[in-house]
Amino acid sequence: MTDVVPSPRYAARVTGRNALVFSKLWKGVLLPQFLDPLFYLVALGFGLGTYIATINGESYRDFLAPGLIASAAMWAAAFECTYNVYFRMNETRLYDAILSTPVEVQDVVAGDIAWSSIRATIYGTVFLVVVAAFGLIQSPWAVLLPPLVALGGLCMSVVAYTFTALIPRIDLYSYFFTLGITPMFLFSGIFFPFDELPGFAEVIAWFTPLYHSVEIARAMATGPGPMVLVHAAWLVAVSAALFVAPVRAVRRRLVA
Amino acid sequence: MRPDREAAVIARSLRKSYGERVAVDGIDFEVRPATCFGFLGPNGAGKTTTMKMIYGLATVGGGDLRVLGLDARTQRRAIKARLGVVPQETNLDGEVTVQENLLVQASYFGIEKQTAEARARELLEFTRLADRSDDKIPSLSGGMKRRLLVARALVNDPEMVVLDEPTTGLDPQARLAVWRSLESLKRRGVTLLLTTHYMEEAARLCDRLVIMDEGSIVAEGEPGSLVRQHVGREVLELHVADECDAEELVASLDGRLEGHDFTEDALMLYASDAEKLLEEIDQERYPTESALVRRAGLEDVFLRLTGRSLRE
Repeated sequence: MTDVVPSPRYAARVTGRNALVFSKLWKGVLLPQFLDPLFYLVALGFGLGTYIATINGESYRDFLAPGLIASAAMWAAAFECTYNVYFRMNETRLYDAILSTPVEVQDVVAGDIAWSSIRATIYGTVFLVVVAAFGLIQSPWAVLLPPLVALGGLCMSVVAYTFTALIPRIDLYSYFFTLGITPMFLFSGIFFPFDELPGFAEVIAWFTPLYHSVEIARAMATGPGPMVLVHAAWLVAVSAALFVAPVRAVRRRLVA
Repeated sequence: MRPDREAAVIARSLRKSYGERVAVDGIDFEVRPATCFGFLGPNGAGKTTTMKMIYGLATVGGGDLRVLGLDARTQRRAIKARLGVVPQETNLDGEVTVQENLLVQASYFGIEKQTAEARARELLEFTRLADRSDDKIPSLSGGMKRRLLVARALVNDPEMVVLDEPTTGLDPQARLAVWRSLESLKRRGVTLLLTTHYMEEAARLCDRLVIMDEGSIVAEGEPGSLVRQHVGREVLELHVADECDAEELVASLDGRLEGHDFTEDALMLYASDAEKLLEEIDQERYPTESALVRRAGLEDVFLRLTGRSLRE
């Protein structure tokens, strides 16, 4: 157990290193990942959406916008804990250097995941501001959304990190994105509600982190109920339960 | 137990396997503090694995390993806090500057920012990189990167520095610069542990060394005494002609040789006076293409002990 529970002190230093790098690069890297959901919003919300009557009494763009906040965070976490981590772990061998200091594997994994969650929150929050500027947010509760976006980012980060720690080759990410991220993006209730779908669709979606992030985001944008806490608890519980997987896998890989 | 406590590293029956492959096969050694201890051997001899067990990047497979008085199995964090590591692969942080590499490294040790900044300045002076402190890593030459790795290993003012092939791939000037900084560290009382396959490097830096082959230690001692003990003073390196029967030549010199070895393309004859030996060879019966008389070195020790020449 002592090999799994991270030291917050050491993990924070790993987070700090990643934040330092981001502080140099943010102007270049923030824009593309932020434009992505914006294009969906314009094309689907303002384009396609004009042909759609209403969903559950709200306009299609109002329905769409909160889910895109959640997905912006998901994409940010997915990229950070796949390619960026893979690069540091296997290409530049930076982790070998970090692990030669008092920092241990569980601290590196925790520090990286914490950073990835922060980065996801930055992307989600920036998009929240944009969506609000378009007038697509109805509830003042939305100001409490960023910390909840962080939970979605956290869960997504743990999942992506686990995949990264297990794959032997970088090209296997095409499976992760094509079979994992893209279907999740399309079928987690961002673009259409589950009402008209067979019951099993929502059951399957329930097992994915994005579904819960989307439910939270939509609830906070329109006026939340107690279910928000259930979704948040799901994200925290799954993240905590899964955390051991990337720690074990990275240790097997780097400290054999 | 008491005298052991003073040693910087004590390995007893230290083992490590990766699946079927035995990387380190039950080795024993002891490193005195404030000395330079070398591991010599070809690639795959088990040097790097031994180093990694010492600095915590490989788990101890079997036997005992104590580093700076601590158990390498259970006190990894505490050991690493007092070590500096120069790895074989250059794994600098390419996304931050030269100076930031040192500052970030200091943060992993929990060193406060002001102390770290002063320390970084001092180390960049020491490794002659002060004028490059704001540069990006990819703009550095191979020698500069190596020197920065040395600087990085010193950020926490370590009691012992572990160096895995610190000068592999460097040109002679860059190698000399690294050697000088290591010598100056040794003078300050820092224990150095290094692997190399450069005989010259081992002879120059190491107070004591072990020669490893296929996971085992095949010899241990001071560089000079290892050479005297296993080879003698001088070597006559002969490239014999095709028609020459080398076996017979060796037999003809019986009594005047301290030993001999065949390598792929040469015959090595060990003697106290190689010049004289060369004169005694019957050139008519044993034609040679070239002959070289030289002082015996660690390379010859290795050849003697393993029956094959050091690769690379």
